[in-house]
Amino acid sequence: MSLLDVVLEVVAVVGVLHLASVLVFVARDRLVDAPRTVRSTVHDARGPLVVLLVVLAVNGVVRRIGVELSWVVGANVTGVIYALEGTFVAAVQSYATPTATAYFAFVYVFGYVYLLTFPPIAYALRGDGGGLRKLLIAYGLNYGVGLVCYVLFVAYGPRNLMPELVDSLLFESWPRSQLLTSQVNENTNVFPSLHTSLAATVALVTWRERSWRRWTPIAVVLAASVVVSTMYLGIHWATDVVAGIALAAGSVVAAEWIESGRDRPAREDAGPPNDATDRDRPADTDDDRGRNEGRERHDGRASE
Amino acid sequence: MTLDIKAAPADEDPYALRVGRQVAEWYRAAGIDAQVTPVSEQELFRQVLLNREFDLFVAQTPTRFERPDGLYSLLHSRFVETPGWQNPFGYSDLGANELLETQRRTTGREREEAIAQLQQAIARTQPFTVVAFPDDIRAARTDGFDGWREADLRSPTGYLSLERTGRDGPEDGPRTTATESAPADGDRSASTLRVAVTDRRGTSNLNPLAVEFRRNGVLTGLLYDSLGYVAEDGTVEPWLAESWGVDADGEAPVARVRLRADATWHDGEPLTAEDVAFTYDLLADTSLGSDGGEDASGDGSGGNGGDGSGGDGDDGLPDDEEVPSPRFQGRISLVEEARAIDDRHVEIRFVECTPGIAVRALTVPVLPKHVWSERTDTAALAGIEIGSVTDALVTNNIPPVGSGPLRFVGNTPRESLTLERFDDHFLVDAAPETLPEGVDGPPAFDRFAVRVVGSGVSAVGVVTDGEADVTGTPVGAGTVPQIGRSDDTDLIVDGRTPPYVVGYNALAAPLSNPQFRNTLARLIDRPTLVGDVFDGYARASVTPLAGTDWVPEELEWDGVDPVTPFLGSDGEVDPESAMEAFETAGYSYDDGRLVRTD
Repeated sequence: MSLLDVVLEVVAVVGVLHLASVLVFVARDRLVDAPRTVRSTVHDARGPLVVLLVVLAVNGVVRRIGVELSWVVGANVTGVIYALEGTFVAAVQSYATPTATAYFAFVYVFGYVYLLTFPPIAYALRGDGGGLRKLLIAYGLNYGVGLVCYVLFVAYGPRNLMPELVDSLLFESWPRSQLLTSQVNENTNVFPSLHTSLAATVALVTWRERSWRRWTPIAVVLAASVVVSTMYLGIHWATDVVAGIALAAGSVVAAEWIESGRDRPAREDAGPPNDATDRDRPADTDDDRGRNEGRERHDGRASE
Repeated sequence: MTLDIKAAPADEDPYALRVGRQVAEWYRAAGIDAQVTPVSEQELFRQVLLNREFDLFVAQTPTRFERPDGLYSLLHSRFVETPGWQNPFGYSDLGANELLETQRRTTGREREEAIAQLQQAIARTQPFTVVAFPDDIRAARTDGFDGWREADLRSPTGYLSLERTGRDGPEDGPRTTATESAPADGDRSASTLRVAVTDRRGTSNLNPLAVEFRRNGVLTGLLYDSLGYVAEDGTVEPWLAESWGVDADGEAPVARVRLRADATWHDGEPLTAEDVAFTYDLLADTSLGSDGGEDASGDGSGGNGGDGSGGDGDDGLPDDEEVPSPRFQGRISLVEEARAIDDRHVEIRFVECTPGIAVRALTVPVLPKHVWSERTDTAALAGIEIGSVTDALVTNNIPPVGSGPLRFVGNTPRESLTLERFDDHFLVDAAPETLPEGVDGPPAFDRFAVRVVGSGVSAVGVVTDGEADVTGTPVGAGTVPQIGRSDDTDLIVDGRTPPYVVGYNALAAPLSNPQFRNTLARLIDRPTLVGDVFDGYARASVTPLAGTDWVPEELEWDGVDPVTPFLGSDGEVDPESAMEAFETAGYSYDDGRLVRTD
């Protein structure tokens, strides 16, 4: 099985999930109007979309040369992270069962891609331009800040630092998946966890957009699963996860702030990328369940 | 007291980091604040071998020490200032120097004695601690090629000795493939040898001189011929050379080398004795004196970059104007001068040494003058701080122009590399009896496709899935069950490997103190490492020459460490004994932590 097969498999599985989700989560009358609304909604969100695509393109290039650059200018923080949390991930893995491994491996690869790609599609179909813009801006901020961190910090994940304690559960249970993951990321880029931050971003945006109730629990549960999977599979440290959640919170707040200031000048959304929005790191580790807390904090900080 | 141990992460090296972590744990039990820093192998080599930025490191040495003279460049103090695998430890011991020199000059009983004493000295003073000789574990498919078990896949000749099994092509093996026309891309997978590796360096750099990019030099060894190669028994036999005669009448031997007829570079230029002579000049000084003018105008002081201590003790190597190749300096140090006599004959004058050792210098890659003479300018490169560096040392050398049995087709950096058989190579139509041992003819494949994957587990997965024929880098013992479960895949276990070592930076206190290093070595319990980290696929030893005939009886491993016995038992350090040992060495404890007395 080659890389192409793995990619096709992901595309097929996620495609099926999309199809089913559209039928479940998007009202029929919306679908009838879809051809018209999608066009105008996407047109409306073209600014953030272009910015996101540019960030992704830059990301693709810099990830490659960034690794070399990172060894020159970056700080190797693996030891610091280890000193901070020790063998926490090994403790998480001590609860491993074959079923859990299968679930988390599925969530890490398929669930994650689905979680990130379905909401934009749904927003477009539902004609929710504001939601779409917010989400795309937040994605762009996540990737932008993440990229800068990857250059500034060299960090290996727990499976690389303590292989005798932490198994590479994903790659051992499904070796071919590494063909895919090594294409999209480097093993020195673990701080922060973008899997965590992007999944949490979706959950946060969904939560704060009150209009879309049935999707909210799915997004939250799936995002929480993705977050746990990054540690369970031995890929990320708890520290990466905390930083990822902080990055998500910062990105969502910033995206909302950018959106709220959008009223008058129409296309100013190219906004300041990767500013220091991830400073307000939450103290609690698994706070994507502590929704109310999150709410308050964001409400407190949010623009108006 | 804090010590930092650098090692390549688990994705790149199945054992190094685990060895480092276990050792750090033992150190901590003895009150030393030890930690492990994972560093990519390329970066590790840059930091350790080029910049000497380390306290301790764990790595496998690039070569086996079948021949004791391999230790000369590894440990002689004249190489302390030299980058590369030339004394990366900064070790200097006059006694050891003397023994290293004696073994170069003597033979028979005298040499044997010197080598035995040398090993004892090393074991006591510990420039590095030999951990274990691991088995080289790989997965190989048998439906396309055969001969895996005999092949030494850490050397180019290993790949050249493989045979074709009739997957769909004709049955009668490698001889027929030579005369077949090159196949169209992709439609004859049977003639492509597909290699899955975890080491991506070879896909973006094929410079045989680049020390941080080379592990064992298999890829560059397939692309570049050398005059001679190291045979199974450790002797050096002719390869690109048709033959040589060594005149040993004087103290310093002289070799007259005759090249094979009609040798050609991959770009069609003829390979002549001039190229060979040029190679020796270049390896000895990659600037070929071209930047000497600049430096001389600066009164020599400008070139004295390093620490102001450069050049002393470099007998025969005048100061800073020379920029030798770090990867081959040990062998080049044997050569006084190389001179082309005519197109096919080279005369090589050696330094004072025995002829058997002198011919080691014939195993360096031969480089084309018409390509490399352009690369003698000084290069500026971030990350390398050792005086001047030339283009020759930092070029990625893609596409490479070699003369070897394979030539470059294409690469995607960090992902893949494709080579193909070079039909003008001597292996293709030389008479079988003139061919090197173990190689019956041209390669059994038309193409050699290297593909980078994320880790040993993935590499094995790619092989068991039928997407590759062999894992081109060794995989860890942890993958043995994974290989065993697959039907078409053989487990290849080869014990002919270099050792893993813990290297110490002897230029910085407290590691500069041999007594301190000796005590550190006593905190390493090899049987535990062999059992836990290597899963039993390794052999413990206290000497780098283990497995050769040169090990004196007192240093043979028979279950316990004969020189630096473990300060504890069953893999548990006994803190009291450790404290006592360090206090004897002149160190003291403060609240359970080791501190320096001064």
